Amino acid sequence: MKLLTHNMLTSHVKGVTKGYPLLIKATEVKVNEVDFNPQFVSRMIPKLEWSALVQAADELGHRQDLPVELVPEYEKNEEFLKKVHRVLLEVEVIEGCLRCPESGREFPISRGIPNMLLNDDEV
Amino acid sequence: MAEPRSEGTLVRYYCTYGKGMEPFLIDEVKRKLAAEDVCQISGIDRVSELKAAERLFLLLKKDSPVLLPAHTNQAKASSVLQSRVLGDKDQWSSAVMTWSRLQGELSGLQEGSGRNVDNTAEDLTVQKVEHGTTTEGRDETLLQPSLIKPEPPSPAAVTFRISCKCTGSLSRYYSQQEVSRVIGVGLSRLMGWKADLKNPQLEVNVYLSDDNCLVGFPLTRLPLANRSYIKTTGLRSTVAWAMASLAQIQPGFCVVDPMCGVGTILIEAAQEHQDVCFLGMDIDDGQLKKANENVEFAELGNRMHLLKASSMTLPLPSSTVDAVVCDLPFGRKFGTKTDMAANLPQSSVSVVPWFFLLSPQLSCVLKKLLAQKDTGPTSNQEAKPGKQDCPSLSLSSTKQQTSQIQQGVQSPPTQETEAPSGLQHTPGNASTQLRGHRWASHKYVKMDT
Repeated sequence: MKLLTHNMLTSHVKGVTKGYPLLIKATEVKVNEVDFNPQFVSRMIPKLEWSALVQAADELGHRQDLPVELVPEYEKNEEFLKKVHRVLLEVEVIEGCLRCPESGREFPISRGIPNMLLNDDEV
Repeated sequence: MAEPRSEGTLVRYYCTYGKGMEPFLIDEVKRKLAAEDVCQISGIDRVSELKAAERLFLLLKKDSPVLLPAHTNQAKASSVLQSRVLGDKDQWSSAVMTWSRLQGELSGLQEGSGRNVDNTAEDLTVQKVEHGTTTEGRDETLLQPSLIKPEPPSPAAVTFRISCKCTGSLSRYYSQQEVSRVIGVGLSRLMGWKADLKNPQLEVNVYLSDDNCLVGFPLTRLPLANRSYIKTTGLRSTVAWAMASLAQIQPGFCVVDPMCGVGTILIEAAQEHQDVCFLGMDIDDGQLKKANENVEFAELGNRMHLLKASSMTLPLPSSTVDAVVCDLPFGRKFGTKTDMAANLPQSSVSVVPWFFLLSPQLSCVLKKLLAQKDTGPTSNQEAKPGKQDCPSLSLSSTKQQTSQIQQGVQSPPTQETEAPSGLQHTPGNASTQLRGHRWASHKYVKMDT
């Protein structure tokens, strides 16, 4: 699971009002080099929940020096886009789990794919 | 149809495609080859990258149909067939030269070497797109680019095989094997080539119908529809591509397939769109494993991501998704009941267009739901079973059906809160039909309930 995916995931367990952002408990993290596409990254940034991304990167120890607040005019800041690229696409959680901040329900991540399925009684 | 021919310097292509795909192919040809206006395109690499087509051919000739006079004898008929289909020797030799040059270009493309530089000298001009309709639904779109540069030297005598498709009145006189044999013998005599059924250098495709007489050489051994970037295929690649093209994906979109299977639709879409995030979900581990292999094989790991999740409760917050594409389970291969369609839209994704690939049954179910929503329960005019546009399987009725759907949609919503799923069907949807499957892109907007 890449942090771009994590940034979009939310928990919809019954009764939960704010199942976001999910906490990451990683047992295996890999960093793969991925081709840098600045357009892609700058297109994705407006869709991100920035604070959740910074928090997730921090939890995994790959925050580098990403600022708490999104920098203005990031489209032209290649150095910044490269950092975001690294956090979004190169850091990947292979094994571990995601934890709903409200209900504590854990969603396992195995072989890089998070399992967000809910049991019938949780829907 | 007027066919512009310039002396010996014209390269003309045609391609075949699956039933129902013609609007997509024509649109793609217009868009990617800019074929409506005269302009430069950079050679065969562009033509061979068409995604909606099945096979690509070099056009040798396109003529009026071969019609045999009534009560003709076998020998006479054979000679008519040979002279009409074969024609001129020079035409064949120049076509083979062009074919072999294009083969060279194509194999250069497959090696993926830095080809752009040396290809620029051989730019082709697309003059016109023609669309010939045959009764069999095996329509051909003709591209007519003219060649600027002279071709390399001629190849020696070639071995060939005739592949023939024969429909209409001619097929009542002859079987396809007989036509192939007659033309094969004639071609062998005309050109001095050798027939080789097992392993020919050149395949000659002959298509004879009541509307057309079409002769050409396939340019690729495998159909264009065989994608080099997909390892495990699910949905047919051309259909998946068309699906993705309907969604009108824009840069910066996040596109979700809530039942992605091995991910065919998203992979086809990702080939076309660089700056888009694709999210595939499925509940089956086996499918996800194959999807994951596909993503790695196509090297799309940066923009295509996979999740195990149910389409009923998408684990996504509101307003994060820009489009949903989905090949709904047909209820045949993957035994799902048709009430699937009724349950499906109860997801957490809001205000996005959904694009479904639907079987006729599912389409009917969904349409009934929509009709109820749009007209309200008191107006039974649209909800009558007889009035429902349950799709028939004939291609010719597609247009009519489309207009019917839009009629249904345009009727004013009177009781929108009756919607069982809290979704409102909005105008502006497109639909077509592929291989007997109703293919509709329904646009939904979630309402506050």
